[in-house]
Amino acid sequence: MMKLRFASPEMLVDINEIPDLDYHRVDDDGTIRVGAVCRHADLERSSLLDTRQPTMAAAAPLVADPIVRMRGTLVGSVCHADPQGDWASVMTALDASIIAQGPNGRRSIAVRDFVLGPFQNALAFDEIAVEAVVPTPRGMPAGGYLKLERRVGDYATVGVAVAIDRVGSQVGRAGIALTAVGPATIAADAAAQKLTGRPLTADNIGEAAELAAEAAQPKSDHRGSADFKRQMVRVFTSRILTGLLRSEEEAA
Amino acid sequence: MSTRTGRKVGTPQGVVGTSPLRPDGIPKLQGRFEYAQDLAAEGMLWAATVRSPHARARIASIDIAPALAIGGVHACLTADDVPGRATFGLEHPDQPVLAAQEARFWGEPVAVVAAEDLDTARRAAAAIEVGYEPLEALTDPEEANRRDEVFRRMRIRRGDQSVRGAVVVEGEYEVGMQDQAPLGTEAGLAVPDGQGGVDLYATSQYVHVDQEQVVASLGLRPDQVRSHPTGIGGAFGAREDVNLHIHLCMLALHTGRPVKMVYRRSESFTGHVHRHPAWLRYRHEADRDGRLVRVEASVVLDGGAYASTTSAVLANACYFAVGPYTCDSVAVDGVGVRTNNPPCGAMRGFGAVQVCFGYESQMDRLAHALEMDPLTLREINALETGHPLATTGQVIQTPLPTVEVIKSLQAMPLPEAGPSDLPTELPGGSGLTSEPQHVTRGVGYALGIKNLGFSEGSDDYAQARVRITDSGAVVETAAIEVGQGLVTVLAQIARSALGISHVEVAHVDTSKIDSAGSTSASRQTQVSGGATLEAAQRLRERILGQFDGDVLDDEGVWRGDTLVTPWTALAAGDWEETVTFRHPPTTMTDDNGQGVAHADFAVAGHRAVVDVDVELGLVKVLRVDTAQDVGLALNPQSVRGQIEGGILQGVGLAVMEELVMGEGVILNPTFTDYLLPTILDAPEVEALLIEQEGSWGPYGAKGVGEPPTISSTAAVAAAIRAASGREIERVPVRPQDIALP
Repeated sequence: MMKLRFASPEMLVDINEIPDLDYHRVDDDGTIRVGAVCRHADLERSSLLDTRQPTMAAAAPLVADPIVRMRGTLVGSVCHADPQGDWASVMTALDASIIAQGPNGRRSIAVRDFVLGPFQNALAFDEIAVEAVVPTPRGMPAGGYLKLERRVGDYATVGVAVAIDRVGSQVGRAGIALTAVGPATIAADAAAQKLTGRPLTADNIGEAAELAAEAAQPKSDHRGSADFKRQMVRVFTSRILTGLLRSEEEAA
Repeated sequence: MSTRTGRKVGTPQGVVGTSPLRPDGIPKLQGRFEYAQDLAAEGMLWAATVRSPHARARIASIDIAPALAIGGVHACLTADDVPGRATFGLEHPDQPVLAAQEARFWGEPVAVVAAEDLDTARRAAAAIEVGYEPLEALTDPEEANRRDEVFRRMRIRRGDQSVRGAVVVEGEYEVGMQDQAPLGTEAGLAVPDGQGGVDLYATSQYVHVDQEQVVASLGLRPDQVRSHPTGIGGAFGAREDVNLHIHLCMLALHTGRPVKMVYRRSESFTGHVHRHPAWLRYRHEADRDGRLVRVEASVVLDGGAYASTTSAVLANACYFAVGPYTCDSVAVDGVGVRTNNPPCGAMRGFGAVQVCFGYESQMDRLAHALEMDPLTLREINALETGHPLATTGQVIQTPLPTVEVIKSLQAMPLPEAGPSDLPTELPGGSGLTSEPQHVTRGVGYALGIKNLGFSEGSDDYAQARVRITDSGAVVETAAIEVGQGLVTVLAQIARSALGISHVEVAHVDTSKIDSAGSTSASRQTQVSGGATLEAAQRLRERILGQFDGDVLDDEGVWRGDTLVTPWTALAAGDWEETVTFRHPPTTMTDDNGQGVAHADFAVAGHRAVVDVDVELGLVKVLRVDTAQDVGLALNPQSVRGQIEGGILQGVGLAVMEELVMGEGVILNPTFTDYLLPTILDAPEVEALLIEQEGSWGPYGAKGVGEPPTISSTAAVAAAIRAASGREIERVPVRPQDIALP
């Protein structure tokens, strides 16, 4: 916010020295907890996420650039609420929450309610975000994150996060969220709904991709036309889901 | 007097043909090199510029009082404060030093301030109240053409205009507005001399022409203004025009204090000229064997609000509109229009870049129509020494190895079939966006040609002085080192000509030497190099004649085995030689564009290999291999440096570098939004240097700076076309142009 000259606060509170906030862990029930000072790079290198949370594993190495990943954090990124930020989409697709702590204790805010608009979040002035919580999967988690950048290191032109929990041959739960194609992160719920409670097929992948594209609210700018961005939402949704279907078929 | 027995003539080190360490190389790597941004003086003030937020507006009022009321503000100057000529310009002085009644482009300077520190200066600039009345901006070049708002029209007619070919291809092409994007922004320091004069140290490619313009606008005598070469962090054409130079001198003389100004990045994007965006229409006609029988071309360049070098860029675009090919029936019409877009001017390639994308796209189209190999078609039509240039009819006198360039490209091995197994090597790179099954490969070729040195009858000269010093010799010049290696190559030339190892290059200001001309048009190695060679040769001859010697080396003058004059004795003398070198004369062309417009030419060819994810529109440029006509490589490593850097700039124009305009406003004036290729985007480059004697440059050297940028863009575009099957009629190629054609 300061770099963008949106804010010039008189005082800054550095939370880096608060002990024991740099963790990320998986609870026994499968809940994933990411502390406020856990760096992108910690998640990128984590051995936990590949199998326990593939959507997060896919997104972690795509955040910004290696230098930013060494210092920046998942919780910070969600708080920043940049519509071009990657983690807010991933967290939305996963139905994750942010734990806010203030003088009156802790409260949990769903990420989709936490991000209010561009660079605006739901924290009260006397609260800090201390943890992101990804709820227990309702089956075997699968998913992916794809982002189109005009050049490596550019802001996202379009990003799509897809997270599904497989229960047997069915999709038990699905989440799809879109980066950089609206004034805030977009939850493509109708697209996710199309997948829920049935097996993945080429047909419903196509329908979900179409619905995701419809959910996008892109604007034409120097990163691309609105039509192009919408098309990329379609292609990314389809590619991620088709990849999941293929690996399902290969495993069978 | 010492003698030598069996001593071989001392072989000087660091001569031409070698690649000695650059004197400025290690300081630059270590951060010790002094760039213009680093300049400082005792008691220095900082300056800032007030810029028009409108593409076109009447300036009804300017109230500087609120700025002057801020503590620490020493001066707020407007158009009324320009003591001399109210305008400046490289070729035509049509640009106001500070906008008076009307601002004609977004970012045009309206006022300047000087204050105790940078923050205060910027606050003061923001406090100045300018009453703008926005006017309708003319931003459509076609409309400007209709209204006859033009800087120049060009008309070239050569040969029988009724000739028709059996095979015809037509095309319309567009080139976006590229920026030179020098990493060092505009910066400078002006120091008053206490006697009404001023010393200027500022980013420049051409200090003498800056000095002339400062003199005119400050109303001073020429001897009162001294413009000094200073450290430049990149130029590429952006440093030819005056920007902060006159402002700094005005503020320095007004306040009596040294004044410094450094543009912010967003200011830099408006503070220098850009590469002209271009709209091209072509019609190529050939016989069934592939011989070009007629080429028609129409070239529209948007010059923006002020003239800068639009006339010369347009001329170049038109003269090279057919490329390195022969054709005896040619019609080219060109126009450089005046709009309220940002002024455009010089950038590496200077008009030859834009048309190359057009004519090379056409040559590929023609090859396709003829079902012919694209390189074979180019070879059939290759322009070589002894042939007339298709446009002007000028017979090429110097070596032009076009066929060898083509054959070299043909012989270069292609990389292994792709795509790569490494995900980071795929389109999208370390963004891990693509997968091998989505990727197709394409290979494309392009050739380009350009003149070397100034054209159309301009008196193109450079002065250099070679002087004997205690430690060896020094070459004095006002020619600017912009990172290309001039200070290295001039020393190499002097070493070879004198026969000694200890030569340095010293930049001197405009009061101490005559002009070296601009560091542009790929000309300094040939022109300042020519002056250095001649000065060094004459000096050596005079010294040997004076002492009746037969050899000069680092020890002194030898006659046979006897050292007749040791270096200390030489250094005690007043040995120097100053030479003004001129290249072969050129002339302005006639009403049909015919004549000897150019002094020399260079040809190069590029082969690009790309992988494309067509569905996403992402491109990975894997390789750009090249063969380039260099005359003689005086410093092979520097030549390769120019080739690799030039190719990267060409790749930038092909796939990412564009200033995006909205009603005259630059929408992406930051390095976040204006994309430059990084090392992750840099293709592998194999460069073949083609050396042939016969150019008038020192030892037969040709300029090498621009050819790498001319055809690399077109080659990448051709490769994308091959991979994607899309027509690709515009560069930069945006993802949406591939994914949603």
